[in-house]
Amino acid sequence: MKSIKWKEVLTSNQMFIIYIIAILSLAIGMKNSAFFDFSTVITLSRALLVTLCFAICEMVVIISGGIDVSFPAVACAALYIPVKVMTDAEIDNVFLAFLFAAVIGLVVGIVNAILISILKIPPLIATLGVSSMTSGALLTFFGTREISRIPESVSALSKVFILNYTNASGATYSLTVFILVPIILCIAVHLILRYTMLGRGIFAIGGDQNAARIAGFNVIRLQFIVYIFSGVMAGIAGMIYCILCDSANPLNLMGSEMMIIAAVVVGGTRITGGHGSVSGTILGVILIALIQNNLIMLGVPTYWQTFVVGAVIVIGTSITSLKAKAVEQNQKV
Amino acid sequence: MKILKKFDHNTLSLLGMYVVVLVAMLILNPSGYYSALNIRSMFYLFPEYGVLTFGMMLCMISGGIDLSLVGIANLSGVVAAYIMVHMGGTEAGAGAIILAIVAALLVGAVCGCFNGFLIGYVKIPPMLVTLCGLQLYTGLAMVITTGPGITGLPQGYISIANGTFAGMPYTFPIFAIVTLVVAFVLKSTTYGQKVYFLGSNAEASRYSGINNLKVIITTYLISGVLGSISGILSSSHYGSGKSNYNTSYTLLSLLIVVLGGVHPDGGKGKVIGVTLAIVLLQLISSAFSILRIDTVITDLVYGAILIIALIITNVSASRAAKAKK
Repeated sequence: MKSIKWKEVLTSNQMFIIYIIAILSLAIGMKNSAFFDFSTVITLSRALLVTLCFAICEMVVIISGGIDVSFPAVACAALYIPVKVMTDAEIDNVFLAFLFAAVIGLVVGIVNAILISILKIPPLIATLGVSSMTSGALLTFFGTREISRIPESVSALSKVFILNYTNASGATYSLTVFILVPIILCIAVHLILRYTMLGRGIFAIGGDQNAARIAGFNVIRLQFIVYIFSGVMAGIAGMIYCILCDSANPLNLMGSEMMIIAAVVVGGTRITGGHGSVSGTILGVILIALIQNNLIMLGVPTYWQTFVVGAVIVIGTSITSLKAKAVEQNQKV
Repeated sequence: MKILKKFDHNTLSLLGMYVVVLVAMLILNPSGYYSALNIRSMFYLFPEYGVLTFGMMLCMISGGIDLSLVGIANLSGVVAAYIMVHMGGTEAGAGAIILAIVAALLVGAVCGCFNGFLIGYVKIPPMLVTLCGLQLYTGLAMVITTGPGITGLPQGYISIANGTFAGMPYTFPIFAIVTLVVAFVLKSTTYGQKVYFLGSNAEASRYSGINNLKVIITTYLISGVLGSISGILSSSHYGSGKSNYNTSYTLLSLLIVVLGGVHPDGGKGKVIGVTLAIVLLQLISSAFSILRIDTVITDLVYGAILIIALIITNVSASRAAKAKK
C-alpha cells in the first residue's frame, strides 16, 4: 500500500517554494496585469535557460559533496576563445564551435577533478583558484574586447525558433530552440540520479565518502565524472549564452556563481552533499529568475536586488537547516 | 644553522620566495623598485588587505571560512561615509569622524555576530553562510548608496589612509597593532587555544567542555571587526564609500592565508606565517606594477600560486603522515 501523505507533501520544501512563487506571481500580476500572459512564460524561459544548465551542473557537484565556483570562468573561456579563434581564422562551423567549447570545459573539468579527488584540495578553494587562473589566462592571452560579430552560421542559430506567439497587442514572442537543451539535460540528469548505479554513487559519495568507498564505489572515478560533466556542460551553456546574446563578451558571466548556488540551495539541495533533486533545482531557478527580473515590476528599485536574493537564501537555508536540526533532536528520544 | 632550525618549513619557504622576488627585482629594475617612493607606496597598500586577511585566518583556524569579509568591509565603509556626509560632509568635525568609525566597527561586529549565529546555532556550513553574507552585506551597502559611491568625506577621515607621520603612513602602525593583538589573542589567551581546539576537532572540543557556539560567534565577530577596519582604511583611501570596492580581496586573502601555512581544514596556522605572506604578496604586486605587467595577469598568477601552495601543503602533509607510520 502506497498512500500519499498529503500533510507531508503540502509542507515539504518544494511546496514552500511553489507557495512563494505563487504569491510572488500574484503580487506582480496585481501591479502589472501584463504579467499574466503567455509571453511571460517565453521571456522567463529565455531568461532562465542558461541559468538552469549551470544550476543542474552545480546541483550534481553539490550532491557529490563538492562545490564548483569555476563554471562562470569556464563558460566565459568557452564562449570567447572559440569565437575569437574562428573569426580570426575565418572558419564558420556551428559544430566546431560547440565541440571547441566542450573541449575547453573538459580540460578545466579534468584539472578540477585532479586537484579535488587526487590531491585532496578542498573543492571551494581549488575551484576558486582554477576560476581565477582560467579568467586570468583568458583575459591575458585572448584580450578583453567584446566581439560583436560572431560567425554567421553560429549566429544564425539564435534565429531558430520552435514556437511563435503573438499577444493581443500584436507583439510577437518567440521561443528559441535552445530551450530543448535544459529540458533534455533535466530529464537525463533526473533519470541518471534516480535510476542508475552512477547516480546512486554520486549520492553515496556526497553522503559519506568513506562509507561509499567501503561499499565499493570508486570515489575518484565518480568525482572525475562529476567535475568533467560540470565543466563540459558549463562550456556548452556558455556557447549557448553567446549565441543568445549574439556577441562574445569575456566578462559578462563572471560573478554569476552566487545566483546559481543560491538557486540550487533554495531548491532544497543540501550544501553538505547527499541530498537534492532536479525538480527542486528547477523551482529554485524559477524563483531566483522571478526575483531578478520582476522586482522592478513590484516597484522595488534594482539596487535592492542583491540584498533580496541574499535574504531569500539565508531564510531558505535557515528553514532547511532548522528542520534538519529538529529531526536530529527527535531521533535521540 | 641553529637560527634556521627555529623557523618551521613554511616560514623558510616564504623567506625563500622573498629572496627570489627581491633578487629578481634587483636585476630587472632596481632603480624603480628600491626607490623611496615605491617602498612608501607599499606601506600604504598592504595594511588594507592585511587587516582583513587576519579575519580570514582566524575563521580558517577555527575550521571555517569567511567569504563575507569584503562585503563587511564595504558595508562599514559605506555606513561611515553616510554618517559623515549627513553630519556636515567635508566640514564634518572630529566628533562626526569618531562616531562614523565607531559605527563602522559596530557594523562589522553585528555582521560577524550574525554569521557566527547562523554557523554555530542554526548549523549552516560556514562557506554558505558567509557566501550569503557577502551577498547580503553588499546588497545592504548598495541599498544605502543606491549604486554610486558616497563622496565628500572630511579631510580628517581621508588622511587616515593617506596621511603620514614623519614619513611613515598612519596605516602601518594600525596594521602593526592589529597583528600584535591577533598574535597575543591566539597565543596567550584561553580563547585562542579554544579556537585551535575547535578547528582541529569540533566534536572533541565540545566533549571537553568548550562552548563551541560561544567560540564560533566570538571568532566571526572578531573577523567582522577586522573586516570593518579594512573597510575604514579603504573608504578613507578612495575618499568615498561604495558597495563594490576591492572585490579581488576575497581570493587574495584566501591565497595569503593558505600561503601563510594555515591549514584549510582548520586547527593549524601562525600569525608570523600569515604576516610574512601578506608582505610577500605586496612585494609581488609592486613588482608587477613596476615592470608594467598588465593587471589582468595578476589573477592568473594569484590563482596559480594558490593552487601550487595548496599542492605543496598537501603533499608535504601526506609525506609527514607516512613518515610517522
